[in-house]
Amino acid sequence: MAIEKGETFSGSEKVDKYRAIYYAGASGDFNPIHIDPDFGKMVGLGGAILQGLCTLAFAAKTVTDWAGDPGKLKKIRCRFSAPVMLEDTISIEGAVSDIQGNRAKVDLKVTRQTGVEVLQKVEAEVEV
Amino acid sequence: MAIDTKFIGKEYPSYTYDVSKDKIKEYAKAIKNQDPHFMDEAFAKKSKYGAIIAPPTFAVVFGAYLIEPIFLDSELNLNMAMLVHGEQEFEFFEVVKAGDAITTTAKISDIRNKEKLDVITIEGISKNQHGRSVCRGLYTFVVRK
Repeated sequence: MAIEKGETFSGSEKVDKYRAIYYAGASGDFNPIHIDPDFGKMVGLGGAILQGLCTLAFAAKTVTDWAGDPGKLKKIRCRFSAPVMLEDTISIEGAVSDIQGNRAKVDLKVTRQTGVEVLQKVEAEVEV
Repeated sequence: MAIDTKFIGKEYPSYTYDVSKDKIKEYAKAIKNQDPHFMDEAFAKKSKYGAIIAPPTFAVVFGAYLIEPIFLDSELNLNMAMLVHGEQEFEFFEVVKAGDAITTTAKISDIRNKEKLDVITIEGISKNQHGRSVCRGLYTFVVRK
């Protein structure tokens, strides 16, 4: 696949009501803020919030779907900047910022339906 | 109370995680990623990897076995009620395949004390049964004071 600087791609995921519970089972992250809406309200989050690493996995999926091969993702990083609530819709927009040797650097913008960036400084590297 | 910076460099016992195709599928479904590399054995056998592979971020599954003992470390004594995940970085090397045995070692790579919060970074290095690197993870947690 020929990847060029400036190329863009996108994806989105609907966070269904039970997503944090499925993710808890698969990842082992059973922190009550993710699986117990009452607990989430008690600590001021307004309900249960999705595990940040699940949001990062959605972002990684958008990159590997675009690259066509999950093994081509060589690096991904992010800052967790705002909570993702259940029943949110997450949008992911990627852009190739640079290509050095056999690595494409990708900047990602990850937002919830309100426009708020839920991840920041999201950068990935893909083998080209 | 601030996290003591003397714990920078503290290492934790390694853990070897056996990767199964069923756990890969469970994780892939949880992250809504039904890529045939993870889900379809016939496809995976014909792929360049020759087997079911794990999504890159499956690293959280074996990484969790190293993070939990650090959260429970009574000497380090993190205030879990005030802890949030601040940043995450993964570097991926060889792909993880079903049937691999992944050994991860972790250490505290950084602690920074700020006015209102402490920042602690844990580095996990994971290798497969051939001794080849599969992942380096940097987990950064913020503990409000």
